[in-house]
This record gives sequence, structure tokens and C-alpha cells, in this order.
Amino acid sequence: MAGNEDMIICRCEEVTQAEILEAIRDGATTVSGVKRRTRAGMGLCQGRTCRKVVAKMVVTETGQSAEEVLPSTYRPPVRPVTLGTLANEWDE
Amino acid sequence: MIQKQVVVIGGGPAGLSSAIAAAQAGARVTVIDENQRPGGQLFKQIHKFFGSREHYAGRRGIHIGTEMLKEAEALNIEVLLNSVVYGIFEDRTLGVIRDGANLSVRAERVVIATGASENPLVFPGWTLPGVMGAGAAQTMVNLHGVLPGKRCLMVGSGNVGLIVSYQLLQAGADVVAIVEADSKVGGYHVHAEKIRRHGVPILLSHTIREARGKESVEEATLVRLDKNWHPLPGTEQDLQVDFVCLAVGLTPLTELGWMANCRCQSVPGLGGFVLHHNDGMETTVPGIYAAGDCAGVEEASIAMEQGRLAGLSIAESLGLIDRTRSADQRASIQERLKELRRKPAFYDSSADLGNREASTADRASLEPLKVGPGYPTEERFQQGPTAIVECMQEIPCDPCAYVCPRGAISVGRPITKLPHLDTGKCTGCGLCIPGCPGLAIFVVDNTYSPTEALLKLPHEFLPLPKAGEIVEALDRYGRRVTEGRVIKVENPRKFDHTPVVSVVIDKRFSNEVRAVSVRRGRHGR
Repeated sequence: MAGNEDMIICRCEEVTQAEILEAIRDGATTVSGVKRRTRAGMGLCQGRTCRKVVAKMVVTETGQSAEEVLPSTYRPPVRPVTLGTLANEWDE
Repeated sequence: MIQKQVVVIGGGPAGLSSAIAAAQAGARVTVIDENQRPGGQLFKQIHKFFGSREHYAGRRGIHIGTEMLKEAEALNIEVLLNSVVYGIFEDRTLGVIRDGANLSVRAERVVIATGASENPLVFPGWTLPGVMGAGAAQTMVNLHGVLPGKRCLMVGSGNVGLIVSYQLLQAGADVVAIVEADSKVGGYHVHAEKIRRHGVPILLSHTIREARGKESVEEATLVRLDKNWHPLPGTEQDLQVDFVCLAVGLTPLTELGWMANCRCQSVPGLGGFVLHHNDGMETTVPGIYAAGDCAGVEEASIAMEQGRLAGLSIAESLGLIDRTRSADQRASIQERLKELRRKPAFYDSSADLGNREASTADRASLEPLKVGPGYPTEERFQQGPTAIVECMQEIPCDPCAYVCPRGAISVGRPITKLPHLDTGKCTGCGLCIPGCPGLAIFVVDNTYSPTEALLKLPHEFLPLPKAGEIVEALDRYGRRVTEGRVIKVENPRKFDHTPVVSVVIDKRFSNEVRAVSVRRGRHGR
């Protein structure tokens, strides 16, 4: 993928390949580490598209095995939900 | 807070099977699905399924879905649609968004059957409109009746890539090429043959290098890869395409499992991190079960069996059925799972599955076919019409064994055995042609006239040829060999939309011609 550093990896947050590589050089060894530095995976799709690509880049750059690079922490909501909807409790 | 006995998250084949199995044992089951209709991927699967009779083999996915929904309804299974499970909290309490409101559901037992999502592939231009998942293209075409473009490049030759390519052809798009990074076709041989004979080239050891276009995809560059999948400089070629489909594997959707503290483990052959489970499909968190692709990306038959296991285990744990009584049922499901997995039908990852027969995947020459158990002898060809079973790869599939009224085709056990054709019993009636989900059975009559042969071929494309019409006769690679005269087109209800075309051609080509084209020049490469 060399030479394509402007290429976007996380579409929701518009994070480029160069920014993710820089995060890994900066010491990120996990998908969460990359996420905290770049916001990759924090957008509307919550990383469903880019997390595997980011994990692969971490594996390639750090030499860890695929099993070691855990996905970032999953928290509710797993789908985009507005705060208004969350606050609107269902009446029986 | 609403209390439920059993909640199944996801109404695809795995979820519905688990719901049905649990409800049959007397459990009160609720299925929650985020889509407008249940059935998961089944309703866009317009092809006939593989597998055995237990797995609805030979039926089209859409019909399987309809049947399961009927079963669910008869069992009073509650189905909540347009409802999103956004989280799992303590004590199997689910957060559900429904009709714009936030609903808490506490369940005694939970089945996670959330399926999988499509993998992306990153290359310059991958964010251009027109680059999409193959499954997304399939949804557009088969559910919404919208063709994403006219000229497609398919990336990946697993079953998803092959099946979606075929369906794009049926919908009227041109699949310009399929590229496969590996040196062999990833999916079933018969699926590959179905599109090859309509002229779609499968370029092995190739991948997409770039997609270009102003507003959307107008052009793509391919590149050849070496054995280690490194691009070979100087081998780039440009293709004029207006959409690119990515069929490069699936990732299990395990978010809810992680959230519930279920142990997840990375299994590259199953698509990445999967929900760990025991023999009864229970995860490491008591009361939470997993079934289908979120427990490992395999295929629909396996998902259904896993769902049945989960449903049975739940019924046992709730004291609804006696464990000793269901032991036989569980054992036979395990046995079938073992058979289904003998020759793996994994979509994307043959690399670490050593028991796959790589050598059979790409051989399209007649030689290996002639020594197979489905091929008649030279003498038999001289005696009159006979079927030819061009099934050369050991896959779990046996509907052909049940369609011949004379019992001329047998598969036996294990289900992955190649079909055996008893040419003494075969009369060349051709009823087996629409009975083969892989469309790999043909009838050849070399005795039709001194110079002509009659072929009977499956033909699932519109417009159908008419009796008396002259059509192009294509070989196994979609190349025009000669022309043919259509004698008749059979399309009764029991063929289930696989019309059989009888066409007369020059006898010299009876072993080459395997398709016809009524759209002149379009597929004749």
C-alpha cells in the first residue's frame, strides 16, 4: 500500500492511511490505541468497516500475530441511536 | 422492563432455526430483527441451495425463508421487526430500540444469531461510489430490483463472488471479469462453471490495483500477483467498468457477545474473532447461546444445524425436554455437521483447511471428467440419449440422487461423494437437469441424426429461446462454437425456474457445447 498515504481508511471519520501509520509509529499496538490517537472507528458505523483493516495494519507494522490484536472495546449502542431515543423509555 | 423466556437476536437461518427448535419443545420464543422482514440473507438467495434434504437442498433460498417463517408462525413465535438490540447488560437484559423508543427486555435465555458483515478491501479509489460489497449488490438487484451498473468487476472468487456474478448476469449486467488473488478458485467448481460458460473470465492470481472515475467508478486497473500475492510490475491492465463488487470474505458480528463478556477467539479460517461455544452452542456466559456466522463464518446449512442445536440445548436447560430423549437428535445433528464440514464450504479461507481438494477446483478439461463416476462411456453415447453429470468436486450436495425416476443417479454417504450415474438405467429424459443446484447435469443424444446431436441444457436467463429459433452455441468458456436450432423449451412448475432447452447442433461439438445464448454477440467472446 506504499505510496497511497492519502487513501482514506476510516470513511466515517476520514482518517487516512498516513495518519494510522503515524499512530502506530507513535506507539499504538492495538486497534484501540489507533482509535484513541486518530478517531478511526469512532464514527457512525463504529468501526464495522475499518476495524479489520486497522487490525491488519497493526499486525503488519508491529509484527504481532492476528490473535494478539484485539478489536477495540465494544460499548452500547452497537448501532447509531440518538440520545433522544435512548431517553424515550417504552411505555407498556 | 419486559420479561421473556427465550429471545433470539437475528432472524436469519440460524436464528429462525433456533427459535423453531426451542418453540417445538414448548418454549415461548421472541425473535428480534433489525430489518423490515425476517429471513436474514435468505430472501436475496434466488439460487438453489446445496446440501441434503435435511437442509432444504435443491430449494431456492427465498423459498426456504418463506417456509421457515410459516413454521415460526404456526409455532406462535413472536417476531419483532425494525427492532435493534443495541446492547446486552447484566442478567441477559437487552436494550432494544423499537418504534423510536427504548425498551428493556430481560430474557431467561438469549441466542446471538447476528450473522456477519462483508469485509472491505482497501485500494486507491475504494471510497468511490460504485465500489460496494458483493452482498450489497445482491441486495440491490434481488430485493430492490435495482441494477448497480452495467459492467462489473468482481473481486474474489469464493461462493459469494461466484453466485453474485451469476445473478448479476441474470439481471442483465455484464460481469467483465472476476479477479482472484489466489491461484485457485475459492468457491465451488460448479458455481464457477455456471458463469464461465457464459463468457465470464476468472483471472486467477490477479487483484484490483486501483479504481478511477470522476464522480463514480469508470475504470479499474488489475494487476497480476506472484505466489506470495505481491503485485508483478508491468502486468497492469485497465478495464472499463462502472462498478466494482468486493467479495473478499465476511467477519462475524460479535459485538453483543463481547459486551456480554462471552469469550471470543480468533479463528482465521472462520472469519476472525468468533463466539466461543460448547457442543450445545452455549457461550462461556451461562444462558447465552450463539449460532450461525457469528460463531464462525460457514454457510447456511451449517447455520441452520447450529440453530437447531442451540434451540434444543435451551429447551433442555429450561426443563422442557428430557436430555436423554433429545440425545439422539443432537447426535444426528452433530453427525450432519461433521459431514457438511468434510469438504469445507467456507467462503473465503481455504488456506488453512488442508482437506480441500485444490486440484479439482480449476480443471475444466474433459480428461478428469471422463474418468469421473458421472460420465458415460463412448459406447453408451452411441446407444442413445444419456445424462452427463459434470460434478467434479466433492461438495456436500445430493438432490440429484432423488430426482431420477429410475434411480440412475446415486450419491450415498458421505454426502460429499461424487454422484454416480448408472448409464444402464438412464434414458436421457433430463428430469435431473433442473434438479442439480449446480446446473452441472446435461443430456447428450449423439444418435439424433447422422450429423447432428441433441443437447438438453439448463438455461436460467431471459429472454428464453423459442422453439425453432437459431441460437449461439457456447462452450464451457462461453466461446461461440457453432449455432444451434432450438427444438423445445421446457419450463414446468416443478423445474422451479430452471428451464431446460433442447437444442440441435453439429454432432462434432456435442462434447463442447454447454450453453446457448439468444443475445447475439453479448456473451460470445
